[in-house]
Amino acid sequence: MDLIVAGHAGQGLQVISRTLAWMLVRAGYYVFLSQDVMSRIRGGHNFARLRVGTEPVYADGDAAQVLVALDPALVERHIPHLAPDAVVVTDAAGTLPEGVNAVRLPFADLAREPVMVNAVAVGASLALVGLDPAGLGEIFSGQFRGKGEEVVRRNVAAAEAGFRAVVEGGKGCCPPKLAGGVPGERVLISGAEALALGAIAAGVRVVTGYPMSPATPIVEYCFRHAQEAGLIVEQTEDEVSAANLAIGAAFAGARSMVCTAGGGFCLMNEALSLAGMTETPLVLCVGMRPGPATGMATRTEQADLLFSIYAGHGEFPRAVLTPADAEQAFHAAQDAFRIAEKYQTPVIILFDQFMADALWTVERSRLRSGVASPSTLVPDSAAIKPYSYRRYEVTESGVSPMVLPGTAQQLVYADSDEHTEEGHIAESAAIRLLMVNKRNAKLAGIRRELAVPKVEAEVKAEAEVKARVKVEVKVEAEGEEKAETLVFCFGSSRGVVSEALKRLRAKGLNAAMVHLNHIWPFPVDAVAGLVGKEKRALTVEQNYSGQLAQLLLQECGVRAAGTVRRFDGRQFTVAEVEAGLEEMMR
Amino acid sequence: MAEDRVWSASAEVTWCPGCGNFGILAALRQALAAAGLEPWQVVVVGGIGQSGKVAQYVGANFLQGLHGRALPHAIGVKLADPELKVIAVGGDGDMYSEGGNHLLHAFRRNPDIVCLVHNNGVYGLTKGQIAPTSGFGFATKNRPMGALVPAFNPLAAGLAMGGSFIARGFAGDMKHLARLIGEALNHKGLGFIDILQPCVTYNRVNTFDWYKERVYDLALEAHNPADADAARARALEWPAEGEVKQIPIGVFYSSRREAYEACGLVERRTANAERRSEGKGRGREVRTANAEPSDGGRGGQRRGADPVSVAKKAIGEFE
Repeated sequence: MDLIVAGHAGQGLQVISRTLAWMLVRAGYYVFLSQDVMSRIRGGHNFARLRVGTEPVYADGDAAQVLVALDPALVERHIPHLAPDAVVVTDAAGTLPEGVNAVRLPFADLAREPVMVNAVAVGASLALVGLDPAGLGEIFSGQFRGKGEEVVRRNVAAAEAGFRAVVEGGKGCCPPKLAGGVPGERVLISGAEALALGAIAAGVRVVTGYPMSPATPIVEYCFRHAQEAGLIVEQTEDEVSAANLAIGAAFAGARSMVCTAGGGFCLMNEALSLAGMTETPLVLCVGMRPGPATGMATRTEQADLLFSIYAGHGEFPRAVLTPADAEQAFHAAQDAFRIAEKYQTPVIILFDQFMADALWTVERSRLRSGVASPSTLVPDSAAIKPYSYRRYEVTESGVSPMVLPGTAQQLVYADSDEHTEEGHIAESAAIRLLMVNKRNAKLAGIRRELAVPKVEAEVKAEAEVKARVKVEVKVEAEGEEKAETLVFCFGSSRGVVSEALKRLRAKGLNAAMVHLNHIWPFPVDAVAGLVGKEKRALTVEQNYSGQLAQLLLQECGVRAAGTVRRFDGRQFTVAEVEAGLEEMMR
Repeated sequence: MAEDRVWSASAEVTWCPGCGNFGILAALRQALAAAGLEPWQVVVVGGIGQSGKVAQYVGANFLQGLHGRALPHAIGVKLADPELKVIAVGGDGDMYSEGGNHLLHAFRRNPDIVCLVHNNGVYGLTKGQIAPTSGFGFATKNRPMGALVPAFNPLAAGLAMGGSFIARGFAGDMKHLARLIGEALNHKGLGFIDILQPCVTYNRVNTFDWYKERVYDLALEAHNPADADAARARALEWPAEGEVKQIPIGVFYSSRREAYEACGLVERRTANAERRSEGKGRGREVRTANAEPSDGGRGGQRRGADPVSVAKKAIGEFE
């Protein structure tokens, strides 16, 4: 079932959509919640989409059965998003387009206070989908933390009023009620929150940033948990300072992470290069929104892929991770710290705004599998002869033993200049060769750390849902072997592509998906092996120039037979990807 | 401590003979030795320019980073490991031009570090361009029409931004400078010293002799460093334009404003972030002084905090 909640900025849409989503998750459904938000604080037209299923859901639907519109004037523009039998819940005042199946409620009267309108809408929505409002109090307590019990109580009362109004007056126009939810150990979490949580679990100590969508929620989450997690969170004067402060902290031994968006990342490029040269472990969370320049602040895109791979002057090793969803974001943060620390180099977590803002239902056990990154420091620095430590000692792997400044009777030199093994400025050609080779030798090791891309016919439910065998979606061996077309994607496109391929298979068109979650160093051998000589490669990506297709050609000599692209700032819909791929496959 | 052996560089010093930087380097070493610090307890963060090379020459740990970014690096080091003595060193180009924004906010933030600025009024490493502190009309071979805007006044700016320790030294008076650096090292908060540094190659105006004729020591005057108004008046004695008659050196202003790491939440956070190595060699003296146990832990990790369990607890929030 799909639901849409629409209103103006400042009307509390987040409360409605999140509360509904939480109630649904508690009732045992998988929920996927995405937001379409304008870059303004009040007014405008914002909406949230909820996809609800008894199996994991990873993408928006295309035909909603329920629309909750706080203002009837917003209904018309959503008609294309509605199923033919959809029910619209909206205010009693105002006119609606012809033929809309509506439940009209006097929002203001039911709410008693204007700020409670959203609670009325929550109650009404619960009645429509057939969920009991019991338990709302607990969720409102979480939402209105700090506002007191009285506020929670009044909101619950308003929600109950909305619920009763639908039950008593709205009969006969209700959509099919939800059924089949099996409560489990699941949480509803945004991609940004999952990233922050993954970093905390990995043992991050210093988090820096300068506010910019879509990275802001990561820093805010860290601020909220600074005390309990022992974090130092710094909002610096600018992005340049954010990145460099994190480098200073990492040099002194703290696991450090800097959060920004594409524009801020531009300002951090020199620092990125410094981290490469000084071999400082640094994790950068870079959110993609449509550019160039300010572009569209609250929208999504995947156009900074090539930029992230090549950002920073000079040549140095790095890893770029492109998580698909909250669960992958959590693990991306863990992988990033592990790789950054082990190889003493920057790691970029490149995420799209859609992934960060959407809320995903994740099995709790999957988030509990986090591990603090192992330390890669020299175990016994006292065993090193006094004042003889060499920060850039040449080794076969390119990784030098690490000792931190402040170690008794050892000095640590980190130099942005080309340098000797000790870390002193050097101009000799021989030393230059030695150091360039040393730094770049780390790429081979980093490559071994990354996930090997696999063919996936569908997104597998990684859920532990043994009780319900039906949900255990397996990659069909048939589908995999017979698939002559491989569809490559990265970031949040995974869920959409997976569903589109499922629909295509139903039409007899066989294709399999390869989602690149660890995209750089590019998994050349694995991708070349998958495509081989017979298979056809297509890409689905949210940019104008087909950056993933460019990488396939450049890295593997694979020329994509076609690309499905979208670059209007909105997430792909399943129908669009389905249509695009179908056209190329027929 | 054999100060000359310990506080010495393993790198070759590449400044021009007679450069004002030599006096600054010597004063810094003297101050560090006098403070009883061991080289491994100190991190010198250098910018890029002739000045930033000090980081490589002092003989302590160093992070030689980027032009203009020494302050963010230094603040990061200090936040991660408050036990380290951290000194950011750069030139006028570094601190007043490329990194000007960082300096303004560092005055506000007041981290417990020392910031030394080699102010020679000209760009040396890039061969003679004008600097933010070049006097109005100051001309070089590469800028024959001269500086077209008035000079930046770092002391007045620092006072306006709430800096807690604002001083000026002179490379030609090493003893005085070493004493000033010693005071900055002892100061809790940002110990800022603008250092007049003659450039013997590119600045033929502000020479050693030119300075010697004009500088006077504030400590010998009736100047009270706790008086912000008096400090501002002294800071403006060097006019943005026109003839320079006299130049005060010494501590203009010093207040007991709390250092960034010591206020409220941050204090607890940095205490938590105290780092110790798995190795046995780390910071024994310092640790004993703090009467802290020296077990376990690593890189900015707080004692006993298991990040995974913190994260697990946080997941509860999403139920």
